[in-house]
Amino acid sequence: MLTRISGGRVVDPTAGRDAVGDVWIEDGRVVAPSERQPDRTIDATGCVVMAGGVEVHSHIAGGNVVLSRLLLPDLYVSEAAPEGHPFAHAGGSAAWIGANYARMGYTTAVEPAMPPVSALSTQLELADIPLLDRAALCVMGNDDHLLQLLRDREGKAAVRDLVALNVATSRALGVKCINAGGASAFKDGALTLSLDDEIPTYGLSTRKIMTALLDAVEEIGVPHPLHVHCNNLGLPGADNSFVATLEAAEGRRIHFAHAQFYAYGVVDPENPMTGGFRSAAARITEAIEAHPNATFDVGQVVFGQTVTISLDILRQFAGRKGANPKKWILTAGDAEGGGVVPFLYRPRGPTSSLQWAIGLELMLLSRDPERTILTTDHPNGGPFTEYPRIIHLLMDKEARDREIATLPKVVGERSSLPGIEREYTLSEIAQLTRSGPAKLLGLDDRGHLRAGARADVAIYRDDRDRTAMFSRARLVLKDGVTIVEDGEVVDWRAGHTLELSVESDKAMARRTDTYLQDRFGQGLASFAVPDEAFPVADVFEDVACRA
Amino acid sequence: MAAWVKGGATDAETAIAAAATLLAAARAPVVAGLCAELAAVRAAIHLAGTLGASLDTAGAAGTYAELGALSRTGAMLTTPAEALGRADTVLVLGAAPWDAPILPALAAGAPTRGRAAGTERALLSIGGPGNGATRHVAYPQESGALALSVAHLRAFAKGHLAGESAYADLARRLFAAQYGVAVYDPAELGELGIEMLQGLVKDLNETTRFFTLPLSGPNQDRAVVQLSAWTTGQAPRLGFGRGLPEHDPWRFDSARQVRAGEADAALWLASLPSPRPDWLGRLPSVAIVGEGSPDAVADAAEIVIAVGVPGESTGGALWNEGRATVTYQPATGAPAELTAADVLGRIRDRLTDQKGA
Repeated sequence: MLTRISGGRVVDPTAGRDAVGDVWIEDGRVVAPSERQPDRTIDATGCVVMAGGVEVHSHIAGGNVVLSRLLLPDLYVSEAAPEGHPFAHAGGSAAWIGANYARMGYTTAVEPAMPPVSALSTQLELADIPLLDRAALCVMGNDDHLLQLLRDREGKAAVRDLVALNVATSRALGVKCINAGGASAFKDGALTLSLDDEIPTYGLSTRKIMTALLDAVEEIGVPHPLHVHCNNLGLPGADNSFVATLEAAEGRRIHFAHAQFYAYGVVDPENPMTGGFRSAAARITEAIEAHPNATFDVGQVVFGQTVTISLDILRQFAGRKGANPKKWILTAGDAEGGGVVPFLYRPRGPTSSLQWAIGLELMLLSRDPERTILTTDHPNGGPFTEYPRIIHLLMDKEARDREIATLPKVVGERSSLPGIEREYTLSEIAQLTRSGPAKLLGLDDRGHLRAGARADVAIYRDDRDRTAMFSRARLVLKDGVTIVEDGEVVDWRAGHTLELSVESDKAMARRTDTYLQDRFGQGLASFAVPDEAFPVADVFEDVACRA
Repeated sequence: MAAWVKGGATDAETAIAAAATLLAAARAPVVAGLCAELAAVRAAIHLAGTLGASLDTAGAAGTYAELGALSRTGAMLTTPAEALGRADTVLVLGAAPWDAPILPALAAGAPTRGRAAGTERALLSIGGPGNGATRHVAYPQESGALALSVAHLRAFAKGHLAGESAYADLARRLFAAQYGVAVYDPAELGELGIEMLQGLVKDLNETTRFFTLPLSGPNQDRAVVQLSAWTTGQAPRLGFGRGLPEHDPWRFDSARQVRAGEADAALWLASLPSPRPDWLGRLPSVAIVGEGSPDAVADAAEIVIAVGVPGESTGGALWNEGRATVTYQPATGAPAELTAADVLGRIRDRLTDQKGA
């Protein structure tokens, strides 16, 4: 079927488009303008037409996400379900996640923290998120097997083969490391870890583990660069960890997760841990500008109650003291561990206000929005459903000033936000939420509207109230099929889970099987994610490695 | 394939149609058991949503003791493999863990990873069998519940109780651990006991590393809780009667609902072995049970449908106690004609068709 989306303001920064025009779609793909009569014409007059949004870092599936629902059963509100999907209005459920992303015009979302040891349950959960294409990143960096290889100096090839095997077995799209070595150090009594601190019993450091993973990701040809959660998240002086990690990459591609939580400079060098923090957003954005190999997502904070979910057990253990309400779950897992700690970003509180300001600063100071990805690190900084409001603040200086006027003076004293005049354009928003994240994930078929793109399209009514505009898309197409009309889901179709098509070495598979048998009493087969485990067929879609 | 309707053998399609009719006529049905592969449990949750039914599991006592404490205070947890590989101190609470397969392995082994590697493992216990194993020190359970013993132990650990006593000695040993693990059966320890234990373990972590390892029963509740949480945002027990998932362990207790006359039909799902509740015969019911199980008989319920047994005559994602996660168990024998997920899906399709007609 040939479809013409006509008369809308088409915003596609990858093609230099920001003008009224048409987008043509056929067989689930964007096609060149056609001389033929379209079978369907969508009148987009008065609307903005963009590619579907792409999420790179949102905790939407996995054991800790499940635990967060059990710890805080009242965090989300469930409403009576209208006809269509029985659980789409069940707060926090997989269907709720899919529906809320789709209503905002997002069509792809990535869970960034899948431990290979529990890949099957994470993948089953992801597959139950309707409407979106989804994927997961395989977390490595604390597993005894990897650390043994590194301790025994087995060489790059062995590490590469083990990483490839983990990606293939867990059916991941990429690789992430979270405070590499931190979980292992925590289990051995450590309470802090920096880039070059020795990890007890292994004689390694975060630097050694992370650089080994950077090399492995490059050698395998994973399209998405190593996704890195640095040491010392959330501490005054975390900017030093961020910059040191950036330099440690030595030019290799690297993505930094939730940079806002690292953009905290020390106020009082004499008392670094007690003197508070000030914004280091300028330092972070300048460092990223100077390193074209690097990207970051923001981890914007929004005010209100949330729950923090992280495999950084070292950080979560420290964070337990600030739990609100006062309960938490920490799991010393088979490799990474992790923690679920409720948190209240106190509306108008000095600390949360400064965090809020720093996230916006990072985006507003960035000269390259395509390497600056909008996230709230859902739910760590707040729910992803706040994206429209964040976009509004980026695009509207007056709205920003009104909000700042309600906040404590510390926002002006310790951040530069009040003085920033910049307002994002729609093209820059498209870079921040579409083309940037798609390029980052190495997904050439989305994030743009050029011929050949997947026909994932979001159509918004152009409205100066950007919160309203981006909250409820007028129309969302997934693979050319209308899934949302006027902010309501109209077709509950399933997307695919994107997995990297990667060869794994048979010798490493045998060796790993032996290791796992020894450690778990069960071999590699018990870590598998077979098609047969899924209640429906056609769940996965291959993504090729880089040439 | 075997199916029965009101005691008479029939084919699958007839039994499925009868099941749909029975459930459609109910005003307050319950879907219970859920001792099955995840695909079947998923189908059962969707069916319950369509019916507006309530949902209950086979392992309820332990599950709700665990969930209640979890939502009130949280937890510090570890896995069987980490306990076996790292623990230099294991505290066994109660009698039930001694029947779990992990106990002999913990008793016989020693830590091989982490800072405690190379040391001996101390096995400490309250309320279990007496001294016996090497390096095993058994402490007496105080009169009353196991939970009370844990409370007293915590009081000594916190310094709220002083003096030389067995529990003061035990508390000192716990603080001396480099990687300690407390093993317990949630059903035996109970909700208050678990809450107290988690408090104790949090206190211990102010100076060392100590975690808990709850053991699961023979049912699939651990996997069902996960699936329910991501499907509905809530853990079982659940009710869908008001068009949204509501979590209420008391209200949606299937045995209580039947006893009180609130439920007027039931669907029992147990493709894996699970004791059939005695209340099943008291109301119009459908039993979907594993082929060859003692319940795959004509009089088990008004309608009985035998289905593939996961790990035997069908594959399925199941709770793996040794790995403390969900893993896939392929069929080891000839495949069954019917799977539970297929049967439940077909019942739901019929209900949806009836509703749309």
